[in-house]
Amino acid sequence: MKATQCFYQDGEHKWVAIVRDPARPDCLIDTNEYLVSYNGSGLLLDPGGAEIFPAVFSALSAEFDPAALTGLFASHQDPDIISSLALWLEFNPKLPCYVSWLWASFIPHFGGSAETFVAIPDEGMEINLNGLNLQAIPAHYLHASGNFHLYDAKAKVLFSGDVGAALLPAKSDNLFVENFDAHIRHAEAFHRRWMGSNEAKRAWCERVSRLNIDMLCPQHGAIYQGADVERFINWFDGLRVGVAVG
Amino acid sequence: MTQNPSIGISQSRASTAGQDLVRIVRINEEIKSIVAVAFKINIMALNAIFLAKRAGTTALGFGVLSNELRVFSQDLKSAMGGLSGVIHEAVTEVSVVLKDQRLISLLNRAQEESGGNARVAAALELRQKQMVEHQSQLRAHRRQLKMVMENVAQLVELGGVLAKSAKIEAAYGQGFSNALGQVSGEFDGVVEDIRHSLVNLNKSEFFLQR
Repeated sequence: MKATQCFYQDGEHKWVAIVRDPARPDCLIDTNEYLVSYNGSGLLLDPGGAEIFPAVFSALSAEFDPAALTGLFASHQDPDIISSLALWLEFNPKLPCYVSWLWASFIPHFGGSAETFVAIPDEGMEINLNGLNLQAIPAHYLHASGNFHLYDAKAKVLFSGDVGAALLPAKSDNLFVENFDAHIRHAEAFHRRWMGSNEAKRAWCERVSRLNIDMLCPQHGAIYQGADVERFINWFDGLRVGVAVG
Repeated sequence: MTQNPSIGISQSRASTAGQDLVRIVRINEEIKSIVAVAFKINIMALNAIFLAKRAGTTALGFGVLSNELRVFSQDLKSAMGGLSGVIHEAVTEVSVVLKDQRLISLLNRAQEESGGNARVAAALELRQKQMVEHQSQLRAHRRQLKMVMENVAQLVELGGVLAKSAKIEAAYGQGFSNALGQVSGEFDGVVEDIRHSLVNLNKSEFFLQR
């Protein structure tokens, strides 16, 4: 079963990370799922692949009533992001899934109907979670051509999907980045190869630099907090991406 | 981790449905080979009709039988087309059952690992009911497939009788009897091939299930 760690709380406003499954087979990439809850409602961010649904569901249940989930947010269309959709819809057929308009007709191959999807336009949109305004921030081509991150201005938390992701060695189970220089080595190859556009990267760095961010939460690896957030943005800005060897 | 018996059952059913898919694919391949033979009979019968015409009055009976064999080949092709339709429906149903089983297996694990959740239990119950319906549909397709195959078997018996009669008629072909005999022997051979394929089809474990 995965572990849950609440890393932000202000009364009924919480951010919970669902991380590190010791029973996960090695052939599955490790993923982080995040729950934002506000006044009893929850939004699950990048709910994960079908194979890890039992682990995510059980971990979530330990922290939050899954029946109080009011939506799913998929940063993009990859299987490790949203192939569990059919299972979440088995649990609650009315659960909406927020996703880039670009993928609204692709993701139904994993499950769901036309009513399931709330298509996010390219410029992004506000998502209201029972009174909490969350902002879908464009991150197109980082890495998917239709890609969004989710910003919570009140908590100063940015869910950054694959941006900031690090493929950490086994047994690296810290929730937060402890040593930026050591950590970023595990992120470099991933970003060089997965992130497809230097222009898109520069635009994203400029966009998020204007946001007030205390924690930057990627879908793989550890969370950047405090000064490491700016360190990461500067590092990413200077990295040449879209590079394949061979 | 404790073993959940319901997961075991689900996985065992899943492997049965997976095997069903493999069996259906094999049945479909056999059907395709019979359709190919039916096409061959059609061409052979056409040639036999021309041969009978050349042989004249001595091969009138052979000509009639060749024509009947041509009709037989078309009936066979059409019957096999019907079988393909049922096969297509069975593949669809097996795929749906496989999906049901995968969802049930994952929901069972979620239920076990979370220590029980009423909505997951309800979703499981609903999905299990749907799977029972889908399995029942699959059984109906299995019965329908079996029925169509029995009809095809009767048709093939008729083809066998026609081929044997053509052999007898060939004996009266005087100067053409050797040529007619060779053609009728080929008819007999290909009908025997079809009979062999049907026997193989009937042996499929897909039909042994209830």
